[in-house]
Amino acid sequence: MDEEPERAKRWEGGYERTWEVLKEDESGSLKATVEEILFQSKRKRCVYVCVCVLIMRHLYVVIDCSRSMEDQDLKPNRLTSTLKLMEAFVDEYFDQNPISQVCLHRNPKKHIAALKKAVDTVCVGEPSLYNSLNQALQSLKHMPGHTSREILIILSSLTTCDPANIYELIKTLKSLKVRVSVIGLSAEVRVCTVLTRETGGLYHVILDESHFKELLMMHVKPPPASSSSECSLIRMGFPQHTVAALTDQDAKPSFSMSHLDSSSGPGLSLGGYFCPQCHAKYTELPVECKVCGLTLVSAPHLARSFHHLFPLQAFVESPLEELQGDRYCQACQGELKDKSIFTCTSCHSVFCVECDVFIHDTLHCCPCCIHSQVTPL
Amino acid sequence: MKLNIEGLLVYFPYDYIYPEQYSYMLELKRTLDAKGHGVLEMPSGTGKTISLLSLIIAYQRAFPLEVTKLIYCSRTVPEIEKVIEELRKLMEFYSKETGESNNFLALALSSRKNLCIHPEVSSLRFGKEVDGKCHSLTASYIRAQRHSNPNLPVCRFYEEFDAVGRQVPLPPGVYNLDDLKDFGRRKGWCPYYLARYSILHANIVVYSYHYLLDPKIADLVSKELAKKSVVVFDEAHNIDNVCIDSMSVNITRRTLDRCQNNVDTLQNTIHKIKETDAAKLREEYRRLVEGLKEANVARETDIYLANPVLPDEILQEAVPGTIRTAEHFVGFLRRFLEYLKSRLRVQHVVQESAPQFLKDIFDKVCIDRKPLRFCAERLQSLLRTLEIADIADFSAVTLISNFATLVSTYSQGFTIIIEPFEDRTPTIANPVLHFSCMDPSIAIKPVFQRFQSVIITSGTLSPLDIYPRILDFRPVTMASFTMTLARTCLCPLIVGRGNDQVALSSKFETREDFAVIRNYGNLLLEMSAIVPDGIVAFFTSYVYMENIVASWYEQGILENIQRNKLIFIETQDAAETSMALEKYQEACENGRGAILLSVARGKVSEGIDFVHHFGRAVIMFGVPYVYTQSRILKARLEYLRDQFQIRENDFLTFDAMRHAAQCVGRAIRGKTDYGLMIFADKRYARADKRGKLPRWIQEHINDGSLNLTVDEAVQLAKHFLRQMAQPFRQEDQLGLSLLTLEQLQSEEMLQKITQIAHQT
Repeated sequence: MDEEPERAKRWEGGYERTWEVLKEDESGSLKATVEEILFQSKRKRCVYVCVCVLIMRHLYVVIDCSRSMEDQDLKPNRLTSTLKLMEAFVDEYFDQNPISQVCLHRNPKKHIAALKKAVDTVCVGEPSLYNSLNQALQSLKHMPGHTSREILIILSSLTTCDPANIYELIKTLKSLKVRVSVIGLSAEVRVCTVLTRETGGLYHVILDESHFKELLMMHVKPPPASSSSECSLIRMGFPQHTVAALTDQDAKPSFSMSHLDSSSGPGLSLGGYFCPQCHAKYTELPVECKVCGLTLVSAPHLARSFHHLFPLQAFVESPLEELQGDRYCQACQGELKDKSIFTCTSCHSVFCVECDVFIHDTLHCCPCCIHSQVTPL
Repeated sequence: MKLNIEGLLVYFPYDYIYPEQYSYMLELKRTLDAKGHGVLEMPSGTGKTISLLSLIIAYQRAFPLEVTKLIYCSRTVPEIEKVIEELRKLMEFYSKETGESNNFLALALSSRKNLCIHPEVSSLRFGKEVDGKCHSLTASYIRAQRHSNPNLPVCRFYEEFDAVGRQVPLPPGVYNLDDLKDFGRRKGWCPYYLARYSILHANIVVYSYHYLLDPKIADLVSKELAKKSVVVFDEAHNIDNVCIDSMSVNITRRTLDRCQNNVDTLQNTIHKIKETDAAKLREEYRRLVEGLKEANVARETDIYLANPVLPDEILQEAVPGTIRTAEHFVGFLRRFLEYLKSRLRVQHVVQESAPQFLKDIFDKVCIDRKPLRFCAERLQSLLRTLEIADIADFSAVTLISNFATLVSTYSQGFTIIIEPFEDRTPTIANPVLHFSCMDPSIAIKPVFQRFQSVIITSGTLSPLDIYPRILDFRPVTMASFTMTLARTCLCPLIVGRGNDQVALSSKFETREDFAVIRNYGNLLLEMSAIVPDGIVAFFTSYVYMENIVASWYEQGILENIQRNKLIFIETQDAAETSMALEKYQEACENGRGAILLSVARGKVSEGIDFVHHFGRAVIMFGVPYVYTQSRILKARLEYLRDQFQIRENDFLTFDAMRHAAQCVGRAIRGKTDYGLMIFADKRYARADKRGKLPRWIQEHINDGSLNLTVDEAVQLAKHFLRQMAQPFRQEDQLGLSLLTLEQLQSEEMLQKITQIAHQT
């Protein structure tokens, strides 16, 4: 295979039957189907269950870079598409789980930079599930028991070349309570089914790019804690951001500790967060202090993680006809036009689909409940 | 679950039922009500066995006088065991629901090899050896000799069984082969003879086809089974071939040599006996004069199952005088043997009918038709008289005598072909006399005549109407059931062209074509990249497979495939094949992925299931036509045309398509399973081929999946595999393809169910 073809044109790509997803209704119109599909997809994410979750997570993401990543069924190819989605994933992940880690780095910027670099990687060879799991395991092994140990594998290939029996490794993973989830880019592979079932992870196969994104975002939410995981108190520092006044003549710019190991990024700065224990300076939070090992966070970070512990109850769905009174959404004040409406279980306010999704995914609290709490004051 | 099937209370041991099972039971009940025969096709993995068992047992309980026994015939020992396990579940359910222990006796029967518990005998490796050794320990005259000479070896298990076993019936219950052995060990009884004795009063017997179809065995085992039995042939899509095989005889030079030895031994034994015990021979002579009247009476009073080797006319006559004395008979055998030897010394192919053969033998060695007809019976009598212990050694002479009887009994339905060499090796002389049966109805006729209801069922019986024609019987029900599915878990694709638009076909003219071979390779390569875990590929023959694989190797296609998956090949060697299979499954299990290259009509295509990840795709390269240049086949085709008005082409296509359906059906073994079925030959797209596939496959072939190119097929397959990989839970099936009792009873569902059965 010495001929390396230049990027194939769109029309040279695979034969697709995009029209087959769509069904015509009785009058021959596609509108109903399309709306149905949209509505369903909106709703899918709104299933919330109240569970105890781990708010400190250690997630190791493994991206398959084997030959099959060159496949062009995701545009422009699987690798580029995956990396683009991963960037979004990393952002979202840190937004929702600020005190967790991906690949043992806390800094989201670093990940995104690494991902961008990886776009140019040439994908060759066969992947080894065993080797990647083993490597991830070596690092995760030392994580304390109160955090979650997770591995997320994005697997494009349908084959794995292993140096040893993978079932032994699965046993080890299980005994160390490492949760392995897999997102398959092509089809269901038996060994992944077993792997995820044994370790309690999720196994999904993507249908298309949007489904891929949805599946990735599913991993942003922290996994339910198993009863056996330890609970412990953790020391944390809450440094304040201090900026030396420009007028202060004595102020000297200094290096941030987090930039010590990398040549990139800004070098000297005036302000920053100072570790309350050893006064090392950091420009970004959250971070683990390089000097004394204290976990440094800010209060909003913790608050953001908390909503996983106390998720908002799912709203009750009911058909629009049953609603008496004004047909307006309590949140956006728009007229209710969809066939279903959503009612908060505690304050009985009515919302439209969009607002329901927004409240559950972003706000994490019902605006009407809060409003009614505040009014008496 | 308790079901009401047209007024019959049926206990069904599961909480859920597939709609087609309900429909199947309805049809089955109607067949039993009519006391007729039935042909039922239902896809594998939809619980055929349990439906059959539940209904027939319920029927037996409701009408104990109408149906006294169920005879369930299956093909292999593992399948027999599976049936017994289902039965056990059902019986447990009965006793749980009714609260009383029922007095049903169900048991499996297999050969001595699988049932023997004698420490020495059971350690022998081959079935024939076990049979022979057993016979030498348990034959009646051996045991009689032991009275005078107690030092002779003895099988204590048989002796014990003979002493007390017959008085005490086997307690009610469900016995598989191991249970029988355990029971035998505990009591010290021979499990084989116990089972053979117990099938007479058992309610359910599960055994192999051959115990009913092969006249040699049926005569021993199944002769006395009650007339009011229901006989079920499961996986019966090949039943005509089983029938034909059981009636055909192949004679090689080696057979004749061994036969010669047998005859010599017989002669010597006769000499010896004459000196010591001449009275015995005289006694035999007297018996032969009396004739076979006893057997005749038994058959007339409906006690015995007829034996096609032993036609009715023979029973009314006495053995003719020319072969009545032992010496004369041996002389007769010698002459016959010499004649056969001379016939095998040919340089060209000879084909003749039975009457031609008889005329020739009369002209050349003056052997009449009549003594020939009695040959088999006479030999049995002689062997009994001479008290020959090891019957196994005499298989050659038994074969010859069976041949003599058959050739002189049936003037139609058989043909004799003498080939001086095999077609593939025309330089090596290897003469064979094929006495080949062309009419499967001869062997199965007694079964249809004797038993009240015979059910023929399988996953692939399409087109249904051909079976009654070639087996010559009149069924009261013929139905094909579809598989109701909550998701379309099978994806048949007909790939007719390569990416370069070259027509793909395995037909003779293009077989050597490089472009076709390359495109086939390309298809496998592309599929190996997108299908997870296991792929099974079927070729039309070993030769074709070897050619293609060699060519792929030269073109470097194999190397590319091996990057995606490991390759395993089925060979004609059984041990090698089972090794390959084992490794194939291992590779599928641990994620490396594997391809199994095998042959339609081979071992893999018939008996081995590729559940779930073991077979995510089946690729059928070419249409598996039988080797049409074979003279036996040609004779059979001619016979079918003359006797049954079945055109050659119809039969060939039917035969090819049933094998293709069998092959692709390997991948789907249930509703949660899924798999691609790729037919890689453009001829499959034609209506005459497609129309002969089972209905449950045909339904899913739409116009969009005909005559695809490799690329198009890859895209469709990709899409299908992604769809199938989405989570699928039991709740998704409920109400659609899986029903609770309440759902089953709804009007709407009952309406739907009536549409599942497709009557022809």
